[in-house]
Amino acid sequence: MRPPISRTDLATILDEADTAAARLRRRLGLRRADLDDLRQDLLLDLIQRLPAFDATRGSIGAFAGIVLRNQSCRIAARVIRERRGWNGGLLSLDVPGSDGETLAEQLGENDGLSAWHGQTASGEAAVERRIDLARALGALHPRDRSLCAAATHSPVRVLAERGLGSRAGLYRRIAELRCALAAHGLRVA
Amino acid sequence: MKHATVTTRSARRLSEMEFAGWVGAAAPGDRLEYHRGFLAVDTIPVISKLPEPDRAALKQTAGRAWWASEQRLVHLVQERLGPDLFAYLAIARPKPKHAEASLAALLVDVEAA
Repeated sequence: MRPPISRTDLATILDEADTAAARLRRRLGLRRADLDDLRQDLLLDLIQRLPAFDATRGSIGAFAGIVLRNQSCRIAARVIRERRGWNGGLLSLDVPGSDGETLAEQLGENDGLSAWHGQTASGEAAVERRIDLARALGALHPRDRSLCAAATHSPVRVLAERGLGSRAGLYRRIAELRCALAAHGLRVA
Repeated sequence: MKHATVTTRSARRLSEMEFAGWVGAAAPGDRLEYHRGFLAVDTIPVISKLPEPDRAALKQTAGRAWWASEQRLVHLVQERLGPDLFAYLAIARPKPKHAEASLAALLVDVEAA
């Protein structure tokens, strides 16, 4: 088993990581709040690579410097790639605005991340959908409710093998269920 | 705010699923003419003058309309246009904003079944 790292080496590693994180944050133009995250990412990678350190080939400081520089390049490339994907920089939801409210407090539900990706993000709509779902399921025969639940996990072939009915019969019942659920305002997700 | 009702009459025959979709999306008071003719005759084999696929589809749509009225989703009315000629209308009813049982209770029942 590899001996634990000495206090002196540990201090060296932490210093190197602090310096590398500060340099990377400055170069990428990130906020101060991101410094800890960067430091943690860099340190984690360095610790994982420590078993490869060979004292006969150089000092721990030199080893840490090389590892941290490489990981900094990878993190920088990732950040730049993400920025390109977002067509610009990322904004933190915790950034305080001019009137003291954070960005998260100023954004409406429909302006959130989910809405940007085309998902329905309205809490009111979600509540109405839940009511519609409860009302529609409540109107179904218990036998059909069971079929609904079973069909969410298993294909018709498996349901038929379990003895819930013939395949043709199951397909017919599912078609009827689709109509019934559509009439209650539920659509295919 | 008062909602302006919309009367819809499809240029072609509606399928059962299309009818159900309309019921699900309609605002209270919206009207859909789902058939024009004499339903009792038009849905009976041999007597109906409709091609068999159309007759079968009409029978399904009419059945779904009846089901929707029993579910209190629509009112079904007919308007006499002439001898043996009626417009069959579905008028959307307000959808209840509460469920008979909670979704959680229903899901528990299903799991227990």
